[in-house]
Amino acid sequence: MKKKPVIAILSLSCCEGCQVAIFDLGERFLEFLTKVNIGDFRLAEELPDVKNYDIAIVEGTAITKEQKRRLKIIREKSKILIAIGACALLGGPQEIKDYRGNRKQLMRLIYPNVRGIDNPNVKSVKEMVKVDYEIPGCPINKEEFFRVINQILAGKKPKIEQKPVCDECPRKNKNCLLLLGKPCLGSISLAGCGAPCPVNNFPCDGCRGPRKGINLSAIKKALKIKARLEDKEIEMIMERFGQKNEIIKNSL
Amino acid sequence: MRIRIDHIAKIEGHASFTADIVKGDVKGARIKIEEGARLFEGIMRGRTDEEMPEIASRICGVCPVVHNLTGFKAIENAYNLDLDETSIVLRKLMMLGQIINSHALHLFFFSLSDFFGYKTDLQLINAYPEKTHDAIKIRDIGNELVEAIGGRSIHPMNATIGGMRKAPEIEELKKVLNDFRNTFDIVLRLADLFLQLKYPDFIRKTSYISLSNSDEYAIYDGKIMVDGKLDLNPKEFLLLIKEFQEKDSVAKRVKFADNTYMVGALARLHNNQEKLNPSAKAVLEKSKIKFPFYNPFYNILAQAIELVHCFEEAIKLLELITIGEIEISEPKIDSQTGEGVGAIEAPRGTLFYDLKLKQGIVENLNIITPTAQNLANLEADLEEFEKLAGFDRLNREQREEKIKMLIRAYDPCVTCAVH
Repeated sequence: MKKKPVIAILSLSCCEGCQVAIFDLGERFLEFLTKVNIGDFRLAEELPDVKNYDIAIVEGTAITKEQKRRLKIIREKSKILIAIGACALLGGPQEIKDYRGNRKQLMRLIYPNVRGIDNPNVKSVKEMVKVDYEIPGCPINKEEFFRVINQILAGKKPKIEQKPVCDECPRKNKNCLLLLGKPCLGSISLAGCGAPCPVNNFPCDGCRGPRKGINLSAIKKALKIKARLEDKEIEMIMERFGQKNEIIKNSL
Repeated sequence: MRIRIDHIAKIEGHASFTADIVKGDVKGARIKIEEGARLFEGIMRGRTDEEMPEIASRICGVCPVVHNLTGFKAIENAYNLDLDETSIVLRKLMMLGQIINSHALHLFFFSLSDFFGYKTDLQLINAYPEKTHDAIKIRDIGNELVEAIGGRSIHPMNATIGGMRKAPEIEELKKVLNDFRNTFDIVLRLADLFLQLKYPDFIRKTSYISLSNSDEYAIYDGKIMVDGKLDLNPKEFLLLIKEFQEKDSVAKRVKFADNTYMVGALARLHNNQEKLNPSAKAVLEKSKIKFPFYNPFYNILAQAIELVHCFEEAIKLLELITIGEIEISEPKIDSQTGEGVGAIEAPRGTLFYDLKLKQGIVENLNIITPTAQNLANLEADLEEFEKLAGFDRLNREQREEKIKMLIRAYDPCVTCAVH
């Protein structure tokens, strides 16, 4: 019988919602556990760490020195590293501190005693180590995760199709949130979520990051005209989940 | 004897513990927080009212609903908005779903292994396959409820200032109601399992603080109750507590009138047990707990009792709301300037958002999480941990196990505590 792959599910600074999403697979997650060996999954076990992982699944951003050290070790001991969620891929909301005012001032505002608290510029996992696969979203779509992880386990190379959220959005034409004057980023954002936000009257704010090949200036123009937004307001929406994405960064 | 527990597993977020045991006496018990500072309170400044609760839900992926809704409540209080009854019922249902999935996670997957000495849930799953399916089913149904109303179980987006964006599909809610009814026996079975466990014998007197109101077992709304008395507005209460930061700590600690206190399931049960629904009350009676009751390990059983209560309450509210059409009204906002406090019972205890807005823009925000409030109390418990029955006969490893068990009994969320 083929040896079961060793899987680790690991968390850096973040809300841990992507791990919860994996847990939320429920019965399917239980079944998944029978097909793998768990190398590290702190949410469900406290066994000593194993030497190597076949697959490491990482959420969050490395903010503390210890987390940065750990991320490097995780990379070294893993054959495949999958970065999951907006924090690991884009920097997450914690990155906002780096471009709204002075991050040292922000730190002093919250902590009277700032000594010994790490306050670096937030970097995504992608910027710090090599990432083999990306599963975007805030939180990740558990169905997409399940599909991707199973394809990897089957030796395939899963891809996330580059299409806009609009393709999955049931609102069309006169129901389109952008046409109704709402700041919806659906047309530039990567689909795969099933468009739960626009379905619930909530304009897409791009938690999955932009898809490749977008025309950012066209959408900015549309946002200005249709949603009557200023440049700064548009930027503030786009940075909610971090700007650590070459597509956004190059276009702003 | 130096006790040092690195990277405590099966809690949300990262923390370690250190203490010394000098001649059988615990000294310098301290929880060390190992999360990165994300500065949520700081990054909200200058952002719009509407986006604040959306970003705030990202503080915690285990209890995003309560961060989101407490954020909205703070805004609504600042703007003096009254919500329509339907929106309130919908939000209450979201909170019930949130508590159900969070308690089920903590009870079964975080705490239960401690009673059997399992180091991994895989052992637990193999030993109790039926119960595992039960726990999964309970979590699923909590998620189903949040998703049906909130649009998504993690980081729901359907609440808005003054109400809800969209009425849920009535057929979907009827299906959820049906699932709740069909699962009720399972939740009673799970509560029964927790009744039969042997809880460590440890008593330390403390104060119990939670929301409380005359109509129901308070979760979404109420005044602050301290040890069954003292009805304070959340705003008044915040004037009486002190939030402080110890050296090097990214999580603050909180004291009330210079004393540590406990929030969470046991505190709520202590203050509001008479308001429990009948089946939950029956479980409490079987437990033979007599209040006042000062064993923090029983926070675990208190959560199991709440699980039953939340099921009964969800069925009640779903029955109510699925009669006829669900209509929600558009809020009318006059002024977008003001100060407001929002308070809701999160799974782990009372969550406060203290907010100041000017023309729709956040000027100041202070978030006080349940775990931040519990930290000092937990450390005070651990400082007197030699009072645990049989402590002197335990070896180092057994002592560490019991310490971890107590830490987990509090169901700490370090991610929240740092925010």
